[in-house]
Amino acid sequence: MPAASTGTLLRKVGFGGITGNRTVFFIMCGVLVAMLGIPALHNGYYENLFRGILMFSTLSMGWNIIGGYTGYVSFGNVVYFGIGAYTSAALWQHFHQLNLLLAIVVGAIIAALMALILGIPILRLKGPYFGIATLGTALATQEIISNIDWLGGGSGFPVHQIDNFSLYYYAMWGVCAVSLAATYAIGRSKFGYALVAIRENEEAAAILGVDPTRTKVQAWMISAMMAASAGAVFAAANGFIDPPTAFASDTNIFPIVMAILGGAGTAAGPLVGAFVLTAINETLWGHFPQIHTLFFGAVIVLVVLFLPRGVLWLLNVRGGWRGLVNSLGAYRV
Amino acid sequence: MTPFLRVVGVGMRFGGLQALADVTFDVEKGSVVGLIGPNGSGKTTLMNVVSGVYKPTSGSVQFAGRTIADVPTYNVCKLGIARTFQIVKPFVNLSVRENVAVGAMYGREGSHRSTRASFERAQELLEVVGLARVADRQAADLTIPDRKRLEVAKALALDPEVLLLDEVMAGLNATEVDEALQLLRDVNARGVTLIVVEHLMKAIMSISTTVVVLAEGKKIAQGQPREVVASPAVVEAYLGSRFAKRQGQLEEMRRQAEEAGAASHGESA
Repeated sequence: MPAASTGTLLRKVGFGGITGNRTVFFIMCGVLVAMLGIPALHNGYYENLFRGILMFSTLSMGWNIIGGYTGYVSFGNVVYFGIGAYTSAALWQHFHQLNLLLAIVVGAIIAALMALILGIPILRLKGPYFGIATLGTALATQEIISNIDWLGGGSGFPVHQIDNFSLYYYAMWGVCAVSLAATYAIGRSKFGYALVAIRENEEAAAILGVDPTRTKVQAWMISAMMAASAGAVFAAANGFIDPPTAFASDTNIFPIVMAILGGAGTAAGPLVGAFVLTAINETLWGHFPQIHTLFFGAVIVLVVLFLPRGVLWLLNVRGGWRGLVNSLGAYRV
Repeated sequence: MTPFLRVVGVGMRFGGLQALADVTFDVEKGSVVGLIGPNGSGKTTLMNVVSGVYKPTSGSVQFAGRTIADVPTYNVCKLGIARTFQIVKPFVNLSVRENVAVGAMYGREGSHRSTRASFERAQELLEVVGLARVADRQAADLTIPDRKRLEVAKALALDPEVLLLDEVMAGLNATEVDEALQLLRDVNARGVTLIVVEHLMKAIMSISTTVVVLAEGKKIAQGQPREVVASPAVVEAYLGSRFAKRQGQLEEMRRQAEEAGAASHGESA
């Protein structure tokens, strides 16, 4: 039974329950609280670096809800990050609003509505087909925004910055902490068990009374709200937003790698992954400034090869991936 | 005793294959209906129609004043119909208790049960089916008989009025079959109506109050177990050749053994 051996392997590497290892979770909560002290160092480099970690953690937690818990591997969550970023930018440009909380709330609402509209048709697809469809939405959204003059078209527009720059750090910390708390609450709720049941076996979940379509759409809406919150703060801190910045492929892919690296389907996994991947990235950048991207790509491949719990998790999550790989092998591509 | 689940003229066609044709029978509250038939006779297809997984191409299943085909699959359990799968579908990365708790959370009584109450209910059911000893293990680690038990526990967690059991005794040894039969009798004694698909004739004959026989997608007999076994149509379609041959062979062996015994007695005397 391949399923049995996969399950055993997953448990050996620390998966279990639906929140994941409690100790790891509480350690990461402590780390998060400690990160409140970063602005006190008055070091711009560290503040930027850690704000990046907080942003990617939040994005990764958003992805984790739909990809890790529900088992629908999305390559389109950058759409919601972009929506959040453009909400923040448009509120300043057109309404002269500098209120970050307002930007976060409005961005999250628009993103959730977008996830509802996109999710109803797309979440009927499974495995690689779902992944490809979400990638399509990411590419399409960037093109559409590039052609809307009201949103700055292809050249984008500036976002006014405030003097107390650390406010952006605290805002990003806030959205990250709320996302972590939300993930933890989901992991202890009936809703969380519905998500995991869908990931494990959608047909069996439906027989046990879980409405798959409704549950998946709700999961994606939560996922989108987390991404949009990070986007709204990012735009304000960045001071400028244009389509390539708002819909960068790094912003799309890194959170997925982080979630898998740290433990998809666990509450603290994305935070762990964001720390590890950022540390690797910074170290490589310091030592090999010219070709660090090459090394970084290689590290991602090695991680996936030699920390196979991520890949196994994905294989376990959707039989479709296994089917895809098997069929590729059969044709010797 | 009023019929509360009615299978009315159900037909199911998959492309060119007529898996079920005009199957009609009533299930009385509190009864145990055994559904038998040779391989490929449509038993599992009928289970899928009754549990709302398939929409029949003709006819309908009526339960509690509703037509099952009009109810989404995820709401069938809320009407009071639960099922097990012949090919078991455990949530392999969840613990055994979590598997059952999901049913308790979203089944007929799920809406007024907290997460914690669902886990308590799951634990009770694990004790009923004999899985309490492995409650914290991952479902992936269970043996086949335990996976069958888990299927039953998950279905019971839905607080069903009607429980459809698709070959839950396949692969069990004689002792385990007796335990399973006792479990089903206990469940039935609590007022749950059972529809049981099973290959083990002895098991089905001993537990069923009514037996429905399918062959090539058609109902060929219905009645009390003893009557059905004696029915010429059933003997011909299902039991006939095999039982007749085996009984003939047994007779032959017994006669030979008696002759040999008599001969050896004769020699020693």
